Amino acid sequence: MSTRRESRLRAFAAKVRGFLCGRRRDGEFDDEMQEHLQLLAEKFAAQGMSREDATAAARRQFGNTTLLQEDRRGLQTFSSVEALWRDLRFGLRTLRKNPGFTAIAVLTLALGIGANTTIFSWIHSVLLNSLPGAGQPERVVELESLAPSGEWVPTSYLDFRDFRDHLKLVESMSVAQPMALAVGNDVGVERVWSETVSGNFFDVLRVKPEIGRFFSGVERDDAQNAHAVAVISHSFWHSHYNESASAIGAILRVNRTPYTVIGVAPKGFHGSMAGLSFDLWVPATMYGQLTSTGTWMLKDRKNRMFRVLARLAPGATVEQARSELASVAGFMAKADADTNQGMSATLLPVWKAHYGIQGSLLAPLTILFGASGVVLLIVCANIANLLLVRSADRRKEFSIRVALGASPMRLVRQLSTEVLMLATLGSVAGLLIAGWLGGSLRWLLPLTEAPQLQSGAQGGSVLVFTAGLAVAVAALAGIGPALHATRNNVSETLKESGRSGTSGTQSNRLRSLLVTSEVALAVTALIGAGLFVKSFYRVKSIQPGFEPNQVAIAKFNLSAANVDAQQADAFCRQLRERLERQPGVTAVTYADYVPLSLGEGSWEDLQVEGYVPGPSENMKIYRNLVAPGYFELMKIPLIEGRDFTMQDDSSHPPVMIVTTEFVRRFIPHGGVLNRRVFGWGQWFTIVGVVQDSKIHRLTENTRPYFYVPIRQIYRPEMGLAFYLRTLGSVSEAMQSIRRESQGLDGMVPATGVMPLNEWIAGSLFGQRIAASLLSVLAAIAFVLASIGLYGMVAYTVAQRTQEFGIRLSLGAQPREVLGLIVKQGLRFALAGTAVGVALAVLLGRVLGSFLVNMSATDPLIFTGAAVFVILLALVAAAIPARKAMRVDPIVALRYE
Amino acid sequence: MMDTKKSEVLQGTLDLMILKTLHALGPLHGFGIARRIEQVSRDVLQLNEGTVYTSLLRLQQQGWIAAAWGTSEHNRKAKFYSITKRGEKQLQVEAENWERIADVISRVLKLEAERES
Repeated sequence: MSTRRESRLRAFAAKVRGFLCGRRRDGEFDDEMQEHLQLLAEKFAAQGMSREDATAAARRQFGNTTLLQEDRRGLQTFSSVEALWRDLRFGLRTLRKNPGFTAIAVLTLALGIGANTTIFSWIHSVLLNSLPGAGQPERVVELESLAPSGEWVPTSYLDFRDFRDHLKLVESMSVAQPMALAVGNDVGVERVWSETVSGNFFDVLRVKPEIGRFFSGVERDDAQNAHAVAVISHSFWHSHYNESASAIGAILRVNRTPYTVIGVAPKGFHGSMAGLSFDLWVPATMYGQLTSTGTWMLKDRKNRMFRVLARLAPGATVEQARSELASVAGFMAKADADTNQGMSATLLPVWKAHYGIQGSLLAPLTILFGASGVVLLIVCANIANLLLVRSADRRKEFSIRVALGASPMRLVRQLSTEVLMLATLGSVAGLLIAGWLGGSLRWLLPLTEAPQLQSGAQGGSVLVFTAGLAVAVAALAGIGPALHATRNNVSETLKESGRSGTSGTQSNRLRSLLVTSEVALAVTALIGAGLFVKSFYRVKSIQPGFEPNQVAIAKFNLSAANVDAQQADAFCRQLRERLERQPGVTAVTYADYVPLSLGEGSWEDLQVEGYVPGPSENMKIYRNLVAPGYFELMKIPLIEGRDFTMQDDSSHPPVMIVTTEFVRRFIPHGGVLNRRVFGWGQWFTIVGVVQDSKIHRLTENTRPYFYVPIRQIYRPEMGLAFYLRTLGSVSEAMQSIRRESQGLDGMVPATGVMPLNEWIAGSLFGQRIAASLLSVLAAIAFVLASIGLYGMVAYTVAQRTQEFGIRLSLGAQPREVLGLIVKQGLRFALAGTAVGVALAVLLGRVLGSFLVNMSATDPLIFTGAAVFVILLALVAAAIPARKAMRVDPIVALRYE
Repeated sequence: MMDTKKSEVLQGTLDLMILKTLHALGPLHGFGIARRIEQVSRDVLQLNEGTVYTSLLRLQQQGWIAAAWGTSEHNRKAKFYSITKRGEKQLQVEAENWERIADVISRVLKLEAERES
């Protein structure tokens, strides 16, 4: 007995044979059938029928020969391949014959697919493929130290060494700290974004050199400032050495010190931070030399400044490694209680890590992805609608095909092929759009100084995503119309012979459903965008507590110029004097931090005289190092005491100015002035109190904050920003900063020169981009839904022309006809709006946390969106309705 | 369109009928098979005779029947089909299957009749 599998195998073998010698069998089979027909006819003729009757009777009894041939082909060849080819050709012809329909469908699809592909490529390059070029990147995790408050902080080099030497579930571990280095000769330097890394950095990431070697041997030990060697990126190799092998051994001047190039990283490797491109890697043990700080920075457990990457040991899970890490960190918190009390550490997947751009992009990208998904759904509904209209127009074609013996499946396949072709065309156009937006990831980031972004991911996974999208869209949009087409009752349609009667209730119901959901989705999108826009303006109207207008800022990277503290101080004083002489300038000052930087700034562990902190209270207080005149220039009111003076330098007793919130929390019972505060290993005396202002972002709650004189604490590895207030134009002030700093020291170029209010706008970047991109997506959704609604109403009007003609000729007023249609359009709009509002309320629960100072069910936005959509629905319905009103009864009745 | 609600040949049973016919009568051409089935069924079954050919093809692919060109009684060139050894075995299996199922169904139908009475 043959099993089913065996019999299937035999059928398959037969198909292969048939496929190879198909044509001959066609003829044989046909001969056999013709013979049979003839014999049958002869038999009937013998029974007394006329010749014609006999032939006809034979045909009836034998059945449809064409269909039989097709069945035979199905048995003997791979009919699906042949059929697909035929469907493709036929589909192409149909699409070409309806250029209007095709163009609208493809454009709509391109919009939807393009938006989704673009956002997916962003997500891919930032979140999914966060370590491009690395081997087994899924085993690499980021190690983050945790402050007693639970906030994440970078890791000190000594902590890193302890973790590295004691963790057994971690195979290898490396620091990786981004840093801008000055590379070049005496003639000129260029800023090269680099990573200072441990010797085994490339082992952790499993990267092999393109040529040369990576750090090895003694270069991997912890001896400081001993190994001036560098690895360059493939693109740096290309631009500076023309990909010549002689690059190995070449000397690069990095921060005025000669470094030997030992190797080149492979092409697809850009460093260890998602989305960013680095060109140079130097040992982290060179940190002191690079920043002219000697050796203390890597020897101070409190100096938490490194990002740490770890590769899990084979077989270890993140959870296991995380708990091992927690116990080691707990041990260190006791052993090094003076620096580490209350601290812990954890492991995070790279895409979840706080360091880098992915942290700030996770939320906006997720929201955008959701919004573009909504747009895609609307696109599907629109396409489905177009297809339904068209299939109503093609009913006769389908009926004839069914009458000629086509099976329902055959029709479904034909329609699916056509939808898939549309989706494919749409995807190609969408990919073009996405490719054109390739580098657009930059839009999502503030224009601050940062390493170059990698161009948006193109490559395989994006193509796969787009292809999947095309299939999904084709299925979503095509299934309804295709099934619907097969439900046609053939004899009914053919009997109508030429009458363009109304399409069945089935089709109308499906189309109403589609239009209603389109309107609903558009309302939701509109409300979502409205909420974000309003939230953005709310944030924008928050007062920062200082006066940013008429101020220019500029940043200087003194560490790259390899100057010591004294030289830095001289540079600052001289530049200040030069700038003060510029026309229109009313005040000049400098500090190591610019408020409202998205970065977290620096903090210091403080001890306030007379204040006993709680057992786990976080005494790491953020601070700014400022020069005299800072508060006056920023117009931050001085409440009591005095400002810093030039005498507050390293040869005078340390002083401090604190904020009102600092006073409220630590010195609530008066006697602020002359109270002492301990930090940086010395006692400071409070000499003044200033008003609170925003430190990191506009939306933050007020935190204690303090200022110390930059001349008492400053080290060149810290940041340096100049502030300049002018009565004239800010752009002139920016020019004079560039000119004067260049004139003072050509090796210390000014970077990030910009008006302070633009800098603040940068801190709103996330909100702004979410608001504006969502508005764009909502607008697209809205236009698509309007087109859908208009199309629906226009089509009904066209179908009911005859009915209107009769109504009008029987005495109906044109206005009544108008009302009839507008009412129909309004019904969809109202139903859609109701559903959309309900959806938006649900959505608001999710989005609420992203909104600032407002409710997620803001009545103004909700009513506004609803009214707007209903008004537009009225317009969309009124245009075709006016046409219906003007129907000439005579023409309408003759129309048939 | 044709009325679809008539008693058609059950899917799969045509194969069985052809196998049995060839088994009983020896080599036949398609027309002969169709005549024989028509005779036996006495107009109870509506058979689109063309489907005999697709059925023959299917049986051939499974190796249950063989085909050879020969000359018909009307002196015309025709394809003659005959049952193979494997086909005979298959016929036996299928016939037993059929009888079992027919038996079950008839018993079930009787059950129904008892309740109604």
